[in-house]
Amino acid sequence: MAKFMFVFRGGRMGQLSPSEMQAQTERWRDWSRKLIAEKRHFGGQPLENSGKTVRGSDRLVTDGPYAESKDLVTGAMLIEAASLDEAVTIAMECPIYRYDGAVEVRPVIDFEI
Amino acid sequence: MEAEQLVADLFRQEYGRLLAALTRLLGPQQLSLAEDVVQDALIAAMDAWRFELPRDPRAWILAAAKRRAIDHLRRIKRLGALQAQLEVEHALAPAEQLASQLALMFAVCDERLSPATHTTLILHFVSGLSSAEIAQAFLVDVATIERRLHRGRARLRALGELQHAPGALPSVLQALYLLFNEGYHGSDHPLRPLLCEEALALVERVLDHGPEVHALAALFCFHAARLSTRLDEQGVFVPLAEQDRGRWDRALVERGVWHLGQSTHGELTRWHLEAGIAFEHACAPSLQETNWERIVELYDALYAELPSAVIALNRALAIGELRGAAAGLALARGLDKELAGYPFLFGALADLARRASRLEEARGFYERALTLARSPAERTSFERRLAALLS
Repeated sequence: MAKFMFVFRGGRMGQLSPSEMQAQTERWRDWSRKLIAEKRHFGGQPLENSGKTVRGSDRLVTDGPYAESKDLVTGAMLIEAASLDEAVTIAMECPIYRYDGAVEVRPVIDFEI
Repeated sequence: MEAEQLVADLFRQEYGRLLAALTRLLGPQQLSLAEDVVQDALIAAMDAWRFELPRDPRAWILAAAKRRAIDHLRRIKRLGALQAQLEVEHALAPAEQLASQLALMFAVCDERLSPATHTTLILHFVSGLSSAEIAQAFLVDVATIERRLHRGRARLRALGELQHAPGALPSVLQALYLLFNEGYHGSDHPLRPLLCEEALALVERVLDHGPEVHALAALFCFHAARLSTRLDEQGVFVPLAEQDRGRWDRALVERGVWHLGQSTHGELTRWHLEAGIAFEHACAPSLQETNWERIVELYDALYAELPSAVIALNRALAIGELRGAAAGLALARGLDKELAGYPFLFGALADLARRASRLEEARGFYERALTLARSPAERTSFERRLAALLS
């Protein structure tokens, strides 16, 4: 089993009705619970839109992560899968696409060569 | 530790309660701000709960809304942090939320707006139903609902404070009736018990407005008593004839009978007639032993009061029980223009045709019902009946 990081981008929509918001929350929960049941997932982290960025040798601090809303990182999750292909298959079932989101599937470098 | 699961309709219920409380606190001219605060709090919940639920989801949303409301209140009313916090805590306490929902319901029924707009505003702002859900309840298109909301928003903002509009009661009762109905056979979910519970809780808070309020409360009780038997384990609708009457909630039926007793002085309204019909069903030991004669009489009176196609359909079904399926079919068939998009019409026509041994006709009606079905529960229910017909 190899480790993969799912980086969630976008998928946040302001103009949903309360029932649609609840339905989307339930889709995420169902997906996340399924991965927990399969012992693939060790907890995801949701991120706020706001924050600061520190950059360069003079440690310039700026407001916000600066990204278009569809590219904004909205969360991340570490999962286990046999291969990149399998990780991609798992990512396909994520509910994020319904509202214009994306999942970046990144293999975590194995420390034990 | 996290909550096991989300209560169905939690977001919708919190939307209505918090919006009503904040509109009362900030004033109706700040309606858009109140909507933003509630929307923001719910979006925050949706984002934060993707991977796990908080221990108490309702308290989580409440805390998120409070934090946002305090900031706005300080700015608008130029209040200190502590005073703003206390005002928000008070306004968002559960009993105050319910009081605010009632205040908002009676305030939106402004005499310059139509009754249809009143009920639209109540269903959206007080109960958190979306335009699509309200359109379903009214059997009209979404654009019509959006227009009513637009007019209503403008009117609400112009009100200085939430005042009891004169003559509001009929619109309030109509809105609660639609809210209950949306819970009883909803557009996307076959059954939304929280909507029914909320309609009953709200109607029982306004009983002192007249005997017809008791009649509506009685109607809700009789229907709510049958809620748990309307779907089977697969979530498919169970026809009245096959419902397990032993599982109907006797305590709710009793409560309905009490309300009906309290409703008798004063004018006879459509709520009395509908409650009378629901009473006959709730008290009948079986479909065959139902007092269909009495039910047809009540439908006759109801149709005279309110000549709508849906009532005509229900009357035709009762006549089908009293005088035979062919008699019911002859009446119901005439409704296919007015109710062309209503799946239950074609389901009912198919059932009547099947019982009148006109199998080819029944099959055509089931197929038409299937193309109109709005939820998987409706679809499966028609599919099963069609399969039973063909076998």
